[in-house]
Amino acid sequence: MEVSSTLKKIMISYDGKVRLVIKNVPYGYRQYSVASALAALAAGDQGKYWEMHDLLFARWPQLDPESLVRYARELGLDLERFKQSMDSKLHKDAIERDLKLGDELHVYMTPTFFINGRKFVGEMRYREFEKIIEEEVKNAK
Amino acid sequence: MRNNNTVKQFKPSLRGAAATLQSLPTRLLRLRLAMTVVMSLLMLAFAPMGVFAGHLESFKSVPVPEQNPQTPEKIELGKKLFFDRRLSGDGTMSCATCHNPEQAFTDGLEISLNYPTTRNWRNSPTLINVAYQQFLFHDGRARSLEEQALFPMMSAFEMNRNLDFVEEVIRSVPEYVEEFKKVFGDGDTARERIAMAIAAFERTLVSISPPLDRYLKGDKKALSPDAKKGYDIFIGKGRCAECHDGVSLSDSKFHALNAPENVEQEKDPRIAATRRFVAKVYHYEDFRNLKEDPGRYLITKDRKDWKAFRTPTLWEISRTGPYMHNGIFRTLDEVIEFFDQGGGKGNTALKPLKLSLKEKKQLKTFLAEALTGEEITIKYPKVP
Repeated sequence: MEVSSTLKKIMISYDGKVRLVIKNVPYGYRQYSVASALAALAAGDQGKYWEMHDLLFARWPQLDPESLVRYARELGLDLERFKQSMDSKLHKDAIERDLKLGDELHVYMTPTFFINGRKFVGEMRYREFEKIIEEEVKNAK
Repeated sequence: MRNNNTVKQFKPSLRGAAATLQSLPTRLLRLRLAMTVVMSLLMLAFAPMGVFAGHLESFKSVPVPEQNPQTPEKIELGKKLFFDRRLSGDGTMSCATCHNPEQAFTDGLEISLNYPTTRNWRNSPTLINVAYQQFLFHDGRARSLEEQALFPMMSAFEMNRNLDFVEEVIRSVPEYVEEFKKVFGDGDTARERIAMAIAAFERTLVSISPPLDRYLKGDKKALSPDAKKGYDIFIGKGRCAECHDGVSLSDSKFHALNAPENVEQEKDPRIAATRRFVAKVYHYEDFRNLKEDPGRYLITKDRKDWKAFRTPTLWEISRTGPYMHNGIFRTLDEVIEFFDQGGGKGNTALKPLKLSLKEKKQLKTFLAEALTGEEITIKYPKVP
């Protein structure tokens, strides 16, 4: 949660200089981690990825299927479309691709960040990101 | 009861110490503390003569406990275990997660990495030259690498692995059983042996030819002119060597410098949970209302140790930030400024140094240049 607010701040501060790509590596030891990733992507289809993402972190550990639908309703999503996406596991393949990629890149902990290929594991503060990004911006010149 | 003499004889306090975080009955804990005190007194009685505060020493062979001699096979086994994520409860963490070879055997974060859904509460110290340390952890709760290795494994907010279980997990890997046979004489994968092997690997992590070491060995050209001036400040006006001395650049003592609290961390309820948990395990009565890190006090219950932390090594310091037990300082400039101003509010350990800007710069040059060796490259093992 804290990291998501940091990332949003970075995207504003470095508008046009930083591109953010999110990959899902749902934690294997949590019952609803895959369902939560599916829910965030389904919400993303309706333009509310971050809203769902933040809600999932705020309401953790209540991430059972009923709760996910309740959150979709809370965010004003098209519920039928959301449920259809969830029931058909529309983004399942995308998540599996992400998991495979994570495996290849030896990603075992979330969050893990790759900044121009440099790997950083764990939650970082804005000033920590800032230092790395400044270095990379400088190197790119 | 384990019927393995090697294991039994290795270190009487090992199993007790390892179990401390699993809420030992108070009486047993008292016994362990008493044993630690007795051992400390013995060590004081036999402390080598001629080592005094402010005396810097060049590297010599790392001290190796008689009960755990270094062998190439043991070091290799220890390296595999060091990188093996089986040692964590959910298979996400190995020792290398927080002691990453690519980050000078730290994780580069203010607060060390954690078991999923939890947060750690202290900074991850480097393992480079850890063999020379007399106390392990910021609060010094372990006296040997063998003892230290098991704490993070079983810690609820670190690797979160039950030690009885990890013995069986390792035993279920035939390659490991074979290696344990070669190293220890039989296939028993006891936790003490896991720790012994990891400790053996860690003892190989020594700085490679840092300029200060060459200088202390007689190469007077090893330090650049500015680093030499910084060295003079380090052992003189800066008074750094009063605590950062010996071969480890640490007096192996605990000082309450009152480094600022990390306000952002204090706000994190997960870190507060960790703080309360550790305090509870160490029988701190008012653990529910504890708002800060009591440091060494949790271990000794001695008022003078309130917020005292172990003097860290300074070798490789340019690569091992952020600094202090809570990672509050990101740069060496911040650290030097903190010491120049006489440490944190209310501390009685430090006095203002009144270094000039030039002197601070020279001191920084010494710290960054003279204490940094060649990068240690690790050939990653093939974990079975």
